[in-house]
Amino acid sequence: MKKLALAGLVVVTLTGCSSEEEPKVLNLYNWSEYMPQEVLDRFEEETGIQVVYTTYDSNEAMYARLKLLDESGDYDLALPSTYYVNKMRKEGLLEKIDRDKIEGFEKLDPELINLEIDPDNAYSVPYLWGTTGLAYDAEDIEGGEVTAWEDLWSKEYEGRVMLTNDMREVFHIGLRVLGYSGNSTDPDEIREAYEKLTELMPSVRTFNSDAPRMPYLEGETDIGMIWNGEAVMGKEDMPSLEYVYPEEGTIVWLDSFVIPKNAGNPDAAHQFISFVMQPEISALISEDIGYATPNLAARELLSEEVANDRTSYPTPEDLTNAEFQEDVGDEAMQVYTRYWEMLKSGQ
Amino acid sequence: MSRWLPKIYLTLVYVLLYLPILVLVVFSFNGSRTGYRWGGLSLEWYESLFNNHAMVQAMWNSLWLALAAATVSTIIGALTALALHRYRFRGKRMLRGMLFVVMMSPEIVLAISLLALFLLVGLQLGFVSLLLAHVTFCLPFVVITVMARLSGFDESLPEAARDLGANDFTMTRTVLIPVIMPALLAGWLLGFTLSLDDVVVSTFVSGPSYEILPLRIYSMVRVGLKPEVNALGTLLLLFSLTMLMLSQWILTRSK
Amino acid sequence: MHRVLQQPFKTAVLVLVWGWLLLLVLTPNLLVVGASVMTRDPGTFLSLPLNLDSYRQLFDPLYLDVFLNSLYMAAVTTIFCLLIGYPFAWALSGLGKQRQTLLIFLMIVPFWTNSLVRTYALKLLLATNGLINNALMGMGLIDEPLKMLYTEGAVIVGLVYLLLPFMILPLYSVFDDLRQELLMASHDLGAGKLSTFLHVTIPLTLPGVLAGVMLVLLPAMGLFFVADILGGSRNLLVGNVIKNQFLDARDWPFGAAASILLTVAMAVLLLAHRLSQRRLGEEAQT
Repeated sequence: MKKLALAGLVVVTLTGCSSEEEPKVLNLYNWSEYMPQEVLDRFEEETGIQVVYTTYDSNEAMYARLKLLDESGDYDLALPSTYYVNKMRKEGLLEKIDRDKIEGFEKLDPELINLEIDPDNAYSVPYLWGTTGLAYDAEDIEGGEVTAWEDLWSKEYEGRVMLTNDMREVFHIGLRVLGYSGNSTDPDEIREAYEKLTELMPSVRTFNSDAPRMPYLEGETDIGMIWNGEAVMGKEDMPSLEYVYPEEGTIVWLDSFVIPKNAGNPDAAHQFISFVMQPEISALISEDIGYATPNLAARELLSEEVANDRTSYPTPEDLTNAEFQEDVGDEAMQVYTRYWEMLKSGQ
Repeated sequence: MSRWLPKIYLTLVYVLLYLPILVLVVFSFNGSRTGYRWGGLSLEWYESLFNNHAMVQAMWNSLWLALAAATVSTIIGALTALALHRYRFRGKRMLRGMLFVVMMSPEIVLAISLLALFLLVGLQLGFVSLLLAHVTFCLPFVVITVMARLSGFDESLPEAARDLGANDFTMTRTVLIPVIMPALLAGWLLGFTLSLDDVVVSTFVSGPSYEILPLRIYSMVRVGLKPEVNALGTLLLLFSLTMLMLSQWILTRSK
Repeated sequence: MHRVLQQPFKTAVLVLVWGWLLLLVLTPNLLVVGASVMTRDPGTFLSLPLNLDSYRQLFDPLYLDVFLNSLYMAAVTTIFCLLIGYPFAWALSGLGKQRQTLLIFLMIVPFWTNSLVRTYALKLLLATNGLINNALMGMGLIDEPLKMLYTEGAVIVGLVYLLLPFMILPLYSVFDDLRQELLMASHDLGAGKLSTFLHVTIPLTLPGVLAGVMLVLLPAMGLFFVADILGGSRNLLVGNVIKNQFLDARDWPFGAAASILLTVAMAVLLLAHRLSQRRLGEEAQT
């Protein structure tokens, strides 16, 4: 008994202390499969800082988690989408980014910096941008037919549709199909979109934002939403997976590095951002996971094939009617949330 | 016919129970990447598992946590069982009742209540919060295991010890502990496994400073079919099988 | 002399365990009750004034539907577990002692294996390109793969699979006690098989049934990861709703109220269990 108790004590003290002696660590809070392992390995090799990669599958989950941990400084870097940068910045949840410690900021596409969401990029550095569009499996669905979000509502796709597990994106398509802005804050429009989406629900087999390509690859769904990078990655394993820019307009987003307030290791965070900003690394990321890099120097380094891939790098025509996601404010968010819960309950 | 029917039925249920596990084990040696088709024998997934930094780290974290949670809950649980068995005190029924309620409560209820507590007192979510939570849900199981052993135990022994002038502490150490040792070990192993398996409570009370295996597995499984999960599952199965056989061996040997 | 020495040991143990339970069980649960009557706050999660809005929201027809559906799924799960488990426990208790031990051991093995991994293993079987569909198509029984994954049925299969041992073990323990003595006695008294079953077996195994129901029904409403993995991330269970409120939507009062609903359900079941035991005790005495 004594020995057992002693063993217990030793265990507790050992594990209690071990955190102080650990090597330097960067806690990266990121979307699933949104950073190639190679980049993390090379960063560790170069700097000796170990990257701990934890994942989330929606901005809401990321935000709720950061709020929950509050000022604990558990995460050093996170990657919110466009509108959440704005929200988090306004709420004082972010640490200012020290531009002097960031190398290569001047290489960023001037169109993607100094946006309304974060003037002067005081709190955020763009990582990747991308689009949410339509995907379909050409083997199971005749091509050409699928051109618009509206097509998802077709009866023949019953039980074959996939949506991302992302409240704003799903409502975006509902709103666009009705001709409203995807950033609507009008409760009536949101309700109408909800009603429209309930008609789609019998067709929906699953929601997935961890890896939206997987339900297509696994043969569970044949048509639905997807992120462009996922479509690129999916096509490698399944050549019949096609990506379409829908007529009502695709959803455009920009994911940026931010440093949560009280981050434990802001220096490592700055180092990591600079590391990613190297043209060679940015190019590697874009080629590997299929999203578009905002780094103009990196775009020069892309292979022909990737640079001309309309899925990763849309042409201006592809972006007709496209809309950037914007912050809609907490009040509208609550309306969205409520309808979203109802939608996912399948009622 | 009626003699065979029950046996056929039992066999059928066991087949259904083990089929998924069998599939998992077989597919962990599958060389193909697509998950469903057989692509030859391969240890590829075991290799990629052990080359995965974060995964190995999470494995160690989980083992440490389970070790600590099982140990602490065994100590507290055994003492509680002894107190319930030996002493009369006020609120004894309430104590039993409360332990029973803890055991029956849906995990998610325990999870959010602990989360609320930890946030209120400002405890950083990590090893300590996980340990407190895991000990709490393991506790009743240890108490029950030890109580079961105590109830079948000859009352005259401690009386004799006391007549010989031993005080309670000495009596506990020299007479009781040896008798309940198998139950302690069994309780410890049960606590260890419960801790290692827990998803629901850990989802709420863990932080990035201490990542544990079930949550790693959860994020992998959510991404889709990953052959590494098969390999990991097989290893975990092997591990729990060993633990379970150990605990059975201890319990039967002592009888 | 030994009074004095005995007291500190006893006191220390009681303080330790009561302290633990008060601090980590009672206080947190009171906090949840408190949270459920507060108001949602986007900044700090909770704020005053106190009100019963979240409870009212629970009975909003829409959420009520979620709860009823969750209850329905849990009930179906429990019924399946009972239908499979009852004859199983009966058949098991009729075997030789050594075989029983071995089979019970085999029943516990899966229970000691990671539940996420087992849920995932089911996915391998149920998927459209999965093994069941491959086998059925290989045998020529179906032309098109069956869509089994991401349905309510898949979630129920998952829940039954994970929770079956929790039904079987308490049932087995009552059957084990009862089998020899009472059934024989009733048989000797000339009761037919059916009548024995209806009038002796069922009432006597009732506490076991209720214990099993309790151990299955409650977790079945809370196991959110099963609905996530096998149900396509839909809010099929109360557990999903509660988790979303805390980890996504940040509506703590509502999440707390939903969890209290589960606690109340547990209390009702516990009460039923106690009553059945007490009644049995009385009958045995008369």
